[in-house]
Amino acid sequence: MKTETQAWADLRRHASVHLRPGFADRVLRAAQAGAEAVPSLMRIFALSAATAVVCLLAVTLIGDPAQDAVENDFNLAGWQRIAADADEFAVNL
Amino acid sequence: MESTPPTFSVELVRRAQRGEPDAQRELIVAYQHRIAGFVYAIIGRSDAIEDISQLIFIKMVRALDRLQAPLQFESWLFRLARNTCIDHLRRQKLRRIFTPFAPEHENVPEPEGAVGSEELDALRHALAQLRPQDRALLALVQEGRSHAEIAITLRTSVAAVKARLHRAREHLREHYQPNHEN
Repeated sequence: MKTETQAWADLRRHASVHLRPGFADRVLRAAQAGAEAVPSLMRIFALSAATAVVCLLAVTLIGDPAQDAVENDFNLAGWQRIAADADEFAVNL
Repeated sequence: MESTPPTFSVELVRRAQRGEPDAQRELIVAYQHRIAGFVYAIIGRSDAIEDISQLIFIKMVRALDRLQAPLQFESWLFRLARNTCIDHLRRQKLRRIFTPFAPEHENVPEPEGAVGSEELDALRHALAQLRPQDRALLALVQEGRSHAEIAITLRTSVAAVKARLHRAREHLREHYQPNHEN
């Protein structure tokens, strides 16, 4: 079909005028800028590992086992008191 | 249909793979107009041609070192272009679900006659009725790619290419009416 062939040629011509001058240079600059902006997989992995280590150290250094034990005893005593009150309430019913 | 001769040499591709900017620029210049036409055939919008073509060539530059057979550069580049266009259309569809526009803002069409000849308007209208995959297939044929090359590009069999091409052509003919109102 001659008109269809002509139309495809028109389509290619029409499309090609939509690329502004200096297209190739813009592509290369963008590719270069993008490559610098995107961190490598290794760098992402190293950053994740460093974050995990810092968190672990923070928990280890800041957390006080003795303080935790005192708090646990206090909470347990509170629950025992509530349980005793509930038993007493059930008996009086 | 004119057959498009290859516009690259294996040595040029190898140099571009080694990261030589001159070779990369030469490849882009050699293919930019063909890729622009290919993008327009699939996307159907003039305002997206430069952005999507740029995206395709950026992907090309970044992935070139992973191309193992420089001889298949053209098939590889057009596969990259096809997948980028189809991804763009999928993302556009998804975006419409999450951010619905008012009907008058939705994909404002290019006015009839504003894009060129009557034949071109009719072709654009007919292509818009086809699935993006079929548009890509027809555009690859117009690029002068053989059935075997298209099969490599689409990672399918030659028989499947022929069958799909036959259906796509039939469908295009149904809608291609240059002498009638669309």
